[in-house]
Amino acid sequence: MREFFQSLPPWVFIAIIAHAVVLGTVAYLILLERKVAAWVQDRLGPNRVGPKGLLQPIADGLKFIFKEDFRPAGVDRVLFTLAPAMFIIVVIISIAVVPLGGVHEKTVVYDVSGANDPKKEALEKAPRGAEVVEGPRIEERANAEGESGAVLATVVYRYPVQIAKLDIGALFIIAVLSLAVYGVVIGGWASNNKYSFLGGLRATAQMISYEIPLGLSLLCIVVMFGTLQLDEIVNKQAHYWGIGGLKLLPAWNVFAQPMAFLMFLICIHAEANRAPFDLAEAEQELVGGYHTEYSAMRFAMFFLAEYMGMITTSAVCVALFFGGWHFPGLSGPDPVHPEVTASMGLILARCLVFFVKTMLVIFVFMWARWSLPRFRFDQLMMLAWRALIPLSLLMLMTTAIVVYVFGANDRAHMRVGGRMALVLLVVNGVLTVLIMLASRYLPAAPQTNRKIRVEGSRFETTPVAAAS
Amino acid sequence: MPRKSMKDSDVIELKEPKLSLGDQFYLPQVKAGLGTTLKHLFQVVVKNKHRVIQYPEEKRDDLPVEEGGMSLRTYRGVHRLNKDEEGRVKCVACFMCSTACPARCIHIEAEESPWADREKYPAKFDIDELRCIYCGMCEEACPVDAIELTHEYDIVGLTRQEMIFDKSKLLEIFDQTVEKEPM
Repeated sequence: MREFFQSLPPWVFIAIIAHAVVLGTVAYLILLERKVAAWVQDRLGPNRVGPKGLLQPIADGLKFIFKEDFRPAGVDRVLFTLAPAMFIIVVIISIAVVPLGGVHEKTVVYDVSGANDPKKEALEKAPRGAEVVEGPRIEERANAEGESGAVLATVVYRYPVQIAKLDIGALFIIAVLSLAVYGVVIGGWASNNKYSFLGGLRATAQMISYEIPLGLSLLCIVVMFGTLQLDEIVNKQAHYWGIGGLKLLPAWNVFAQPMAFLMFLICIHAEANRAPFDLAEAEQELVGGYHTEYSAMRFAMFFLAEYMGMITTSAVCVALFFGGWHFPGLSGPDPVHPEVTASMGLILARCLVFFVKTMLVIFVFMWARWSLPRFRFDQLMMLAWRALIPLSLLMLMTTAIVVYVFGANDRAHMRVGGRMALVLLVVNGVLTVLIMLASRYLPAAPQTNRKIRVEGSRFETTPVAAAS
Repeated sequence: MPRKSMKDSDVIELKEPKLSLGDQFYLPQVKAGLGTTLKHLFQVVVKNKHRVIQYPEEKRDDLPVEEGGMSLRTYRGVHRLNKDEEGRVKCVACFMCSTACPARCIHIEAEESPWADREKYPAKFDIDELRCIYCGMCEEACPVDAIELTHEYDIVGLTRQEMIFDKSKLLEIFDQTVEKEPM
């Protein structure tokens, strides 16, 4: 049994633990959301179930399970059931490529006595998918009587603390997250309800529009590091910028590219269908939007998927802009590969740091939801097409130029040096101010929401044709 | 037509205010909004300054009016049927209250009184507390001050039937409230 578990690839365990953590967190995020909402509005929030209301998620879950699983007449039976599942699968799958805690280096001793080829046997025993960096070192150990006893093989292997180490990690995130809208659209369409249908349509238009600035602001980071691998991007942020030997700032991208970060943050709000971009479920206009007809666990799946979407997008945001697991004191001994460590405690501390950073980004999500009013649909489209897309395009172009001009020294180890970071920061600021000033001289926006003259209304201000 | 009564000069046209550079860029305004909500959040979390009255444990009745409390002096709650000094129901079954009741929630059945000081007394006296609008007309109509509205508002029941209060229940409410609210 023990051998079987040892031979399993490490990502199996990481996947199980990561999913358990995500699912547990989702339940408590709903409680946190309600608490934050209450605090912002000078209330206390749920505090009756358990100490300080901490058992509220369990009560909520039980309620969802015991509610009637109602399916209205006239729905598309297959798609109606499929839609919440599609949504939840897509949002949870994208956590797979997010690097959680660097690379773990493990030394294992295998007993390979009696094998014809002890080296081959040892390599076969090592977990599949792990990268063997040293060994197998064969050693024969004499037993108490001095006879030749067990043959032991020492293997040192490394594995990334990440479910899937994809070469196209960033691309995968973009691709999979945009699939999330299928759950919304299909759920809205299958419900056979005009409000749900409108919610689905809005979600599609929104997703298509915000996909572009999301991709472009992500590309700014990809251009800086020259790789799509999320774990590489995180590992290259694990150092410091400073003057001389003085470490001033951790080399997190948010300090070099604040505007790209801001655009990314706005776009993941739109991507996760969160206020102020929650037009798909705007309850004041569309009853409940795409999930109007859903109840019980089916509704709960939509609800949980929204929060899981928040977790995954925030995790990606942390990996791209906040240095992932990196925190002063958590780097490994090798300065070139700070992500490699042999200590399991360090790995766990990094996972905790990553978790806390993600939670902070999620708090921003909630904070924004209870502060900002929802956009009108034309404002939403205008923000994407007239503001974010040109701005992110400009940002991408200038980043490319800066990397070409100043990046020569940093190319060697693919890190972003302090000089380049400073230039990027200045460029970000200058671009923002320029665009702010230029926005004054841009042609006026089309009058999408203009007042329509109504003849004969008492609000009509045009002088009435002289009555004769 | 409304046009006749309204002159063009009466119409005020409201114009949208001109946006400043910050308004137009939206982000400074977002920052201001987030600042406001964060201020409130910290007030609740750190200073425990909130506007919640935790109902069953804390009641508005116990708080001064300036702090969001409620004055019960003029509050109209559940009814009671008063008793006289000998412990008999004071009601003389004159039907004034049920006649005055705009919600028609008072149902009385009168019978000949067993006592010498009056002709009739209520054999049955039912008030549907769910139909009642607590206007206090019955109290005003009563010639002998037999029916009164108390200050009790937290009456509950599991069925509608339970919320139809009969004579014994109404007299029981009198016994419960007479100390606090004498006739």
